[in-house]
Amino acid sequence: MRLDSVESLNRLRNESRQRLDARKKKIFVCLGPGCLAAGSDQILEEFNKLLAQENIKDYSLEAIKKTGCHGLCARGPIVVIEPEGIFYSKVKKNHVSQIIEKTLKNGELIESLLYSENGSKKKITDYRDIPFYANQYRIGLRNVGKIDPDEITDYIASGGYQALARVLTEMKPQNVIDEITQSGLRGRGGAGFPAGRKWATCAKVESDVRYVICNGDEGDPGAFMDRCIMEGDPHSIIEGMIICSYAVGSREGYIYVREEYPLAVINLQKAIDDARSYGLLGENIMGTDHCFDIKISRGGGAFVCGESSALMKSVAGDVGEPRAKYIRSVIRGLHDKPTVLNNVESFATVPVIIDKGAEWFTSVGTEKSTGTKAFSLAGKVINTGLVEVPMGVTLRHIIFDIGGGVPAGRQFKAVQTGGPSGGCLPADKLDLPVDFDTLTEAGSMMGSGGMIVMDDRTCMVEVARYFLEFLVKESCGKCVPCREGLYQLYKLCTKICEGKATEDDLVLMEKLSDTIRKASLCGLGQSGPNPFVSTVRYFRDEYLAHIRDKKCPAGVCRNLTTFTINDKCTGCLACISVCPVDAITGEKKKLHVINQELCTRCGSCYDICKFDAVDIQ
Amino acid sequence: MKYRFQIIPSLCIGCRTCELACAFSHAHDKKPGRSRIYPIAYAPDKYVPVACLQCDDAACVKSCLFNALRRNDETGAIELDKERCVKCMACVAACPFGCALFDDVHDEVVKCDICEGTPACVQFCPTKALVYEKIPV
Amino acid sequence: MVHITINGKVVKAREGEMLLAAIRRQGIDIPALCHHEAVEPTGNCRLCMVEITREQWQGWKKYVTSCLYPVEEGLIVSTHTPELIEIRKNLLDLQLARCPNSEVIQQMAEEYGLTKSSYESRPDADNCIMCYACTRICEVLGKNAISAAGRGHDKIITPPFGEPPPDCIGCLACAQICPTDVILWTDDNTVRTIWDKKFDLISCSQCGKTTITRDFADYLIETRNLPREYFDTCDECKRKNLAHKMGDIVTAVEEVTL
Repeated sequence: MRLDSVESLNRLRNESRQRLDARKKKIFVCLGPGCLAAGSDQILEEFNKLLAQENIKDYSLEAIKKTGCHGLCARGPIVVIEPEGIFYSKVKKNHVSQIIEKTLKNGELIESLLYSENGSKKKITDYRDIPFYANQYRIGLRNVGKIDPDEITDYIASGGYQALARVLTEMKPQNVIDEITQSGLRGRGGAGFPAGRKWATCAKVESDVRYVICNGDEGDPGAFMDRCIMEGDPHSIIEGMIICSYAVGSREGYIYVREEYPLAVINLQKAIDDARSYGLLGENIMGTDHCFDIKISRGGGAFVCGESSALMKSVAGDVGEPRAKYIRSVIRGLHDKPTVLNNVESFATVPVIIDKGAEWFTSVGTEKSTGTKAFSLAGKVINTGLVEVPMGVTLRHIIFDIGGGVPAGRQFKAVQTGGPSGGCLPADKLDLPVDFDTLTEAGSMMGSGGMIVMDDRTCMVEVARYFLEFLVKESCGKCVPCREGLYQLYKLCTKICEGKATEDDLVLMEKLSDTIRKASLCGLGQSGPNPFVSTVRYFRDEYLAHIRDKKCPAGVCRNLTTFTINDKCTGCLACISVCPVDAITGEKKKLHVINQELCTRCGSCYDICKFDAVDIQ
Repeated sequence: MKYRFQIIPSLCIGCRTCELACAFSHAHDKKPGRSRIYPIAYAPDKYVPVACLQCDDAACVKSCLFNALRRNDETGAIELDKERCVKCMACVAACPFGCALFDDVHDEVVKCDICEGTPACVQFCPTKALVYEKIPV
Repeated sequence: MVHITINGKVVKAREGEMLLAAIRRQGIDIPALCHHEAVEPTGNCRLCMVEITREQWQGWKKYVTSCLYPVEEGLIVSTHTPELIEIRKNLLDLQLARCPNSEVIQQMAEEYGLTKSSYESRPDADNCIMCYACTRICEVLGKNAISAAGRGHDKIITPPFGEPPPDCIGCLACAQICPTDVILWTDDNTVRTIWDKKFDLISCSQCGKTTITRDFADYLIETRNLPREYFDTCDECKRKNLAHKMGDIVTAVEEVTL
């Protein structure tokens, strides 16, 4: 059903809204990555099966909606019953019939499935009252978890493509660029370059062909915000890209999706196909003169292809190696033509800026970092999941007020922000506001939004070694400082973890880091030493302990740590059952023994022992 | 082209002074290179000083896959850009007159460049068998 | 024509050329291992890095590889600041760890005060510095017979699947352009071997001396529209032939004149 005018879009919106509102009661089943991995697709299937068999008042099959990531991944699989907002967490397939019998039919709550804060017995029914959700402000993630990503009418009913209609019929390309510039939107992929300026530069270059590319590579380990937008609200990206194409004068666009996100490819392709059949992509969009179409380009499993020039080479079918960017991609990018490359979250934000205006956007966030930012909170934090907050809130607010703090009674030690190219910040930096610039001064960066929390059982030297290993494997290998330099930095860091390093090695590593930063060809190399540089800045003592005392204070580094069981052991078998490598032997009520050869120093025995019988040296 | 390089074989006595002059005027690193001009006997006491004819439609230029051979419009010579040359020997094999050759002293491909406008061979030929003159307009 | 300042001196530079050319024209010695005029610059070795700034930048400066940075009016360039020398030294230190046996690298490192590397040497190291000169030159001549394979530290230059490259014509451009002489080849009688592929060398029809490979000659004949006969004889014999041809003409003219 082709929409060949704004009026027909308005009509469809009203129809869809009426249809959705007519059925007030809905069941949302989260099919986000975490919940899906925990089997929420089977929960969805069960709902479909059981509701097809019975005829329950208000809850026909159309009441069931699959959605993208709802957000509180730690509590998945999640089922939400609207309009009450009843939040059921850790749902299993065999709970479905119960939910139908008790909640759907009789309006009763199932206490055991309700959420309560860590350590509290009080249950919270409406998810909007849960601090994790209450403290968020969702713009980029506005629809994720609320709509069915496969239903274009859901998107339209929630206001989707309204911005595009206004852009195509009431605004000139320069107006659009001005609006985006005034909003202060900065690239959400990590570099934070002003989007308006990027679009303006591209539009000014004399060319018959221009490209718009969405960077869906999201290579940072632990980051999944872009994935959730691609899977949960693909139309927001498409709409943002079409608006951009109108502003800069482009007819062809690509969404580059990393190879490891096959579901994102499926959902995006469905959205693209639907948009085409509705006349929102292709020739004469919404009956206007503007034409634009999008193809999906898949990555091949390389972190470096998230770098813009490498990405463009990859799209063109070449090996994804970056090039020196003295001539920027906005001027000569894909196929040597002017190209705008923006991140998933950036494009998803564009329609809202057009809808609500640049001034509104600047009222959220800070002066230099307007709007909100999505974060994927992971690691040693209670409420792992997807978070969106205004720029300028503190790390403490995100990790403790929203994230719920560190679990198992452990201490906060550091938070890694910005992926491998970022850095680790210690506890005394928790009150820093999170925006594009402040974290960079402190030696890290906000980056694309990955936030990994670490507790006192994390060795910061090992963290540096881990990220350096990642970067060494992902380096494209073209330039000497990154290929050889990061490799040598990684080897020296490994030496420290093994207790074989000297203080001269540390001096050498700092000198090497400086050269790698200054001489590398692309951002991967230039920020490559960050894991080392930031940890040695804030946790130098830990490094010196490894070097001088041959000790690992956190009790992690294999060569420097031994786990032994002392005579407080009661022989309860608890540690034996949790050891992932079967390194502990012992009989009931007899002293247990750890086999040092097999022990991986994971600490599971230490965590589970109630008798303080495990010693870490 | 403003100049013309002319060979008059009947005046050539085969003294090979041109060969010497060429080799020494192209000396570098304290060694004379190989000459680009060779008086060759076609009969007893009858010589032709064989030198690059700077062809209009030069095979050497066509054969170079790296654009290392280019015409100097001032002197008329086809010059070999040493910085570009990768010593693949395509020009050496392609030139129908054998006037691009490999200098094994300096490990480089060489050809006549008319000494950038003041050809040494012309200067030193005792019988004026070699002429380099401005073409009357 | 643009004006740039190099180490304090204002010089002219050609519009569109890279900083490296302008710098070298001033007689300033700057290392650039992966640079060669016959191929497009890639900025792999990073040794040609210079510091650039502008008056408007108020002291802020940037490091760029001069082989890839185009000249611009008003650019202020420094080529040998203490930081740059330190960077070059550290880069050569890394190269020395990668290719400890390469005389070229040893020599360059020595010029920067290094006799041995601060780092652990690569085990079983060959002399390849991964400058891409060989792959670039093969691309320029239109064959693409070899390429860089793999990623990161394990990257190697190789023909497809490590087998004798089907597209190689035995021209030796890759071996000749390699700054560290890594690519080996042999000419044994009339057979050339490179990349484990064997080629027939053309033997001069008059003296038997070998010239280039048959495949290379065929490639030039086809793509450059050159007569086949040009390649049948060696350069020495072609000079002799020319002398004889010219001699015939001289004799004929003399006879006519007489």
